[in-house]
Amino acid sequence: MRLNDVHYLMPVLILVAGAIVTMLSVAVKRNHRVVFGLTLLAHFAALFTLLPLRGFSYQIPPFLIVDGWGVFTMGLILMTSLFVTLVSYAYFEQREERKEEYYILLLLATLGTCVLVISQHFMALFLGLEVLSVSLYALISYLRLREMSDEAGIKYLILAAMSSAFMLFGMALMYAVTGTMSFTDIAVYLRSMQDIPLLFLTGFGLIVVGVGFKLGVVPFHMWAPDVYEGAPAPVTAFIATASKGGMMGLLIRFITETDGYRYPSLVLIFTCIALASMVAGNLLALRQKNIKRLLAYSSIAHLGYLLIAFLAGNQLGVEAVSFYLVAYFITTLGSFGVVALLSDNIRDADQLEDYRGLFWRRPATAAIFTAMLLSLAGIPLTAGFVGKFYILASGVNTQQWLLVAMLVLNSVIGLYYYIKVIAVMFAQPEKKPELRKVLHPAVSFASGATMAVLALLLVWIGVYPTTLVQIIRGLLVTFMASR
Amino acid sequence: MTTLPMEYGLLLAGILFVIGLVSLLIRRNIIFMLISVEIMLNAAGLAFIVAGARWAQADGQVMFIFIVTMAAAEVSVGLALILQLYHNLKTLDSDAANLMYG
Repeated sequence: MRLNDVHYLMPVLILVAGAIVTMLSVAVKRNHRVVFGLTLLAHFAALFTLLPLRGFSYQIPPFLIVDGWGVFTMGLILMTSLFVTLVSYAYFEQREERKEEYYILLLLATLGTCVLVISQHFMALFLGLEVLSVSLYALISYLRLREMSDEAGIKYLILAAMSSAFMLFGMALMYAVTGTMSFTDIAVYLRSMQDIPLLFLTGFGLIVVGVGFKLGVVPFHMWAPDVYEGAPAPVTAFIATASKGGMMGLLIRFITETDGYRYPSLVLIFTCIALASMVAGNLLALRQKNIKRLLAYSSIAHLGYLLIAFLAGNQLGVEAVSFYLVAYFITTLGSFGVVALLSDNIRDADQLEDYRGLFWRRPATAAIFTAMLLSLAGIPLTAGFVGKFYILASGVNTQQWLLVAMLVLNSVIGLYYYIKVIAVMFAQPEKKPELRKVLHPAVSFASGATMAVLALLLVWIGVYPTTLVQIIRGLLVTFMASR
Repeated sequence: MTTLPMEYGLLLAGILFVIGLVSLLIRRNIIFMLISVEIMLNAAGLAFIVAGARWAQADGQVMFIFIVTMAAAEVSVGLALILQLYHNLKTLDSDAANLMYG
């Protein structure tokens, strides 16, 4: 390892150090506030060292590559994890269980996702994916006294392990055919072949199963509603954003590197997945009475939208994916942040009835939740609208008319169930809600401030998207130039 | 010395993988489901070793060691979860662990 490698890997190394220091501090003395502070510090330090890495493309052969795309996705994931941490403090403060280990696991999950998006070799990919997955098993079942949490954890564990096995078998087949595990060398091998060998195609299919599972797209989506419902709300936010975004980042790197768009069979597979996800996600969301399950199905549909931009494959497509990821992350974090904010120490506020008349009880929270839902639906003046518009543009640009038409149709269906939740929030409450033990205002200050920042970002990007577009374009220069 | 063609090894790994998958789908006891997943992971490991042997590289074996390590980590978390689940439900039948319809 050269000295320069350390410079380029600093964000990842800081996350490792952060996890270890946090663990040691828990061993010395359990203090929620100290651990929270250390976690925040690790995030800020990692983000700070990420900043000077813009505009370079640095290889750490054979495993990792830090380029514009890697820096963009790493920054996005670190910001997400930062917001999740901020929301978690108030959420866990009101629970009796031991809360300090949560932050260690969160740091490790973030570390895994960061390694995932900068990997250019199957080994690094596998390592990042498993660090992420194993931390997630523990995070999902963190509130271990809740039966639903345990159930969600074991379901995720069995299914994630199965999908890892699929992915590994696919990698093994690819390795057997090509004799290399690095993306670049696989691309070299593919260029030398007229058509893809059958064994390689089988391997790719198996990898798609693994990737599809992590992305939670139809037909690999069965785990999503249960895990979303059973996991603690901040963890759900993390799964819906960072874990899916990391996988999307990896997928884009792999397909762009190997120039997978040349093969109609691969494009066909992803087209079918995108169509099925959009339709099934939106239709199944219609009948949900549980907010977390509703958001789970909605996120399945959103990943379907995202795949349209992914299928476009050109510069515009990657830009659209980046923009949509930002918009989707902000809205999803905001929505689950509201759920976490309203939860008490017995259960999460996930029933639709918990939100009846919310506007008359907590106008600010209801307003933020409304903004988030409108953004998910893609109403103008929110980030979700601009993101959807970007995807539409990339789809039209590559003449994928079927996908574009389905996107428009599904947005209309989606509007129905988002508006339904908003209507419930504005309805007059039927009875006086029983008074709950209210936390000290200072405790929930971090959550409240985070929500406000997210709402501001949402509107800002929705009204004036130019800044974000410029940032994304600037970062993607080093990624697209090498193609 | 004659060597076996690579396809035989891959076929064996594929059969093991399918056995693991089928038993995962038909078993209802969570411990057995965990074991089935282990079989699938080890089948993938075997495929890596076969592929590594074909190219005379150490990469396949390195990957196998990674897989074994990861499987151990997974099982330790999994068994802890199963203990907790048994504590709550007094059974290891996966149909009983179905509070959320899914």
